[in-house]
Amino acid sequence: MSGEIVLKVENLSKFFPMKKSVFSRAKHFLHAVDNLNFQIEKGKVLSLVGESGCGKTTTGKTILKLYEPTGGKITFLGKDVTHLHEAEDKRWFHSKTQMIFQDPFESLNPRKTIFDIVAEPMNIQNFGTLKKRELMVMDILKRVGISPPDAFLWRYPHELSGGQRQRVAIARALVMKPEFVVADEPTSMLDVSIRTQVMKLMMELIKEMNMSFLYITHDLAVARYMADEISVMYLGRMVEYADSEELINNPLHPYTKALISAVPVPDPEFKRKSVEIKGGIGKPIDPLPRCRFYDRCPFAMEICNQKEPELVDVGQNHKVACFLYKKDGDTVA
Amino acid sequence: MKAVLEVKNLKMYYDTQAGQVKAADNISFSLYEGESMGLVGESGCGKTSVSMSIMRLLPENARIISGNIFFGGKDIVKISNEDMNKVRWAGISMIFQAAMNSLNPVYRVGDQIIEAITTHEPNVTFEEARQRVASLYKLVGLDPERMDNYPHEYSGGMKQRAVIAMSLACNPKLIIADEPTTALDVIVQDTILRELEKIQKKLNMSMIYISHDIAVIAEVASKIAIMYAGKIVEMSDSITIFKRPAHPYTVGLMSSFPSIRGPKKELVTIPGEPPNLLNAPDHCRFAPRCPFATDECWKKEPSYEEIENNHFVACFHPQNLKKQVRNNVG
Repeated sequence: MSGEIVLKVENLSKFFPMKKSVFSRAKHFLHAVDNLNFQIEKGKVLSLVGESGCGKTTTGKTILKLYEPTGGKITFLGKDVTHLHEAEDKRWFHSKTQMIFQDPFESLNPRKTIFDIVAEPMNIQNFGTLKKRELMVMDILKRVGISPPDAFLWRYPHELSGGQRQRVAIARALVMKPEFVVADEPTSMLDVSIRTQVMKLMMELIKEMNMSFLYITHDLAVARYMADEISVMYLGRMVEYADSEELINNPLHPYTKALISAVPVPDPEFKRKSVEIKGGIGKPIDPLPRCRFYDRCPFAMEICNQKEPELVDVGQNHKVACFLYKKDGDTVA
Repeated sequence: MKAVLEVKNLKMYYDTQAGQVKAADNISFSLYEGESMGLVGESGCGKTSVSMSIMRLLPENARIISGNIFFGGKDIVKISNEDMNKVRWAGISMIFQAAMNSLNPVYRVGDQIIEAITTHEPNVTFEEARQRVASLYKLVGLDPERMDNYPHEYSGGMKQRAVIAMSLACNPKLIIADEPTTALDVIVQDTILRELEKIQKKLNMSMIYISHDIAVIAEVASKIAIMYAGKIVEMSDSITIFKRPAHPYTVGLMSSFPSIRGPKKELVTIPGEPPNLLNAPDHCRFAPRCPFATDECWKKEPSYEEIENNHFVACFHPQNLKKQVRNNVG
């Protein structure tokens, strides 16, 4: 492990109150993100993978301060940004971070031209003159493959295809050259042939601009191609964390194993063996202090019902939160 | 084997203010008893238009210009609406895209399936229908006691199972599943696909799976048709399609799909975007994106031909063929 750490998240939690009334305080909480720890180095991509409702999007939004965290600490470029009060700090933080959303049909304002959309971060940050902004917009549009850029500047989103819109959304996120970007399922709405184009484009840009990425996806195959490290989430908790190839080839947590075995393989001759797990995913409302996978786990033991497993390092930067594994990598009998 | 469904030169166009959209152009395929076919393509390529033509559930501005659809020996393009109503559900049923939204939220799930049964089979009493629903629930892996629940009390996967149960309600010969698992998580998707495959084998039904996801199709279909811009560009059994794809679009599609098995391969991108089907060009529709395109491809449309046994391709420059076959063709 070397290199500058851009983002460090310690014990991050975000709870949502379940029912609010004017006169009573909330009694039940949805533990959307519970005690998350990870860090991202400069130029690296970490992928958060999990099923819908596991808290991956909430994690991304909490880090970017679109939600106020319930607990924990977020350090960005060595500065504590957990709670930002001063306008100046906020401005600094938001000029260095950006988000790319899932649906390019909803994330672009239909009443604005492409120029206005891409230049908006610069307007908010009061950056440069109009001439300079125009040059920068042209520059980034060309870079994301919208060419010729001057033909698109004054068009509206409805004149663009889905792939072009997502390119514009990427251009908007990258025009200020952020240090850190959260990408929330940026390719899941796109068609197969367009998806690969956009994935490749993002990988090139990450390398070229030496950015750090938090890449949120439900698709392990996409995560494998995009990310250096993959972290698997289940009901608000991180259950496994490893380098991408290590996680795909050597999954340890029973949930990760099930997830990997459930991914369809584009090869009709390959017969998958699926790991059977019981039931469906629930909601982490006031969860009991036990392993959250307990109800569905085929290997559930007595201890799993009594306390929550912590993430333990089993070597080679591979961490897993499961009582089946001990620190040295040996399986508990 | 007997063909359950035979589609011949089907042309379905939409009339819009801007002009004619050739959503399905010269589609031909046949489907045998107990066979499952995958229809693969990107959005807007006409997959759903084909299935809606088969069900005759077309919007007002859509017209079947020419072609035949034979189901059980009858051409269902020509029959009256009343006769078509009898074919729907009892003969051909459908699992719709976003199935979770196709249940009515204010009726009990069981009652909605009973309604489907009693509409098509007026002789069946309510009690008999209820019993049939209970056995259908068991078949798709649902607890029959949940029949009297409302849709909002079901999870996404359970709704999907209920919709599958509904599609089976009148013992159809053919089920069209339009993106049956797209909105589901991988683990649920896996169980649903396995369930569907099991039921299909058990009841010896024919299935058409429609999907953009070639990995899903690889798992469930024995025969695959690849659609591009309103046309079937390639069709064969699934092993041939995956091992020796001939159309450059299929080749591109295969190598642009990330997989979690095997060594990490470099992904290949197909440049450009699918064409607008409004006033579609009369040359090969893939030519602008094709690495093998020659002058010929820009002059006329390639015909859809059998290049080897049971392997149909519409391309002037088919790839990956055995040598002798290539000599025969060119």
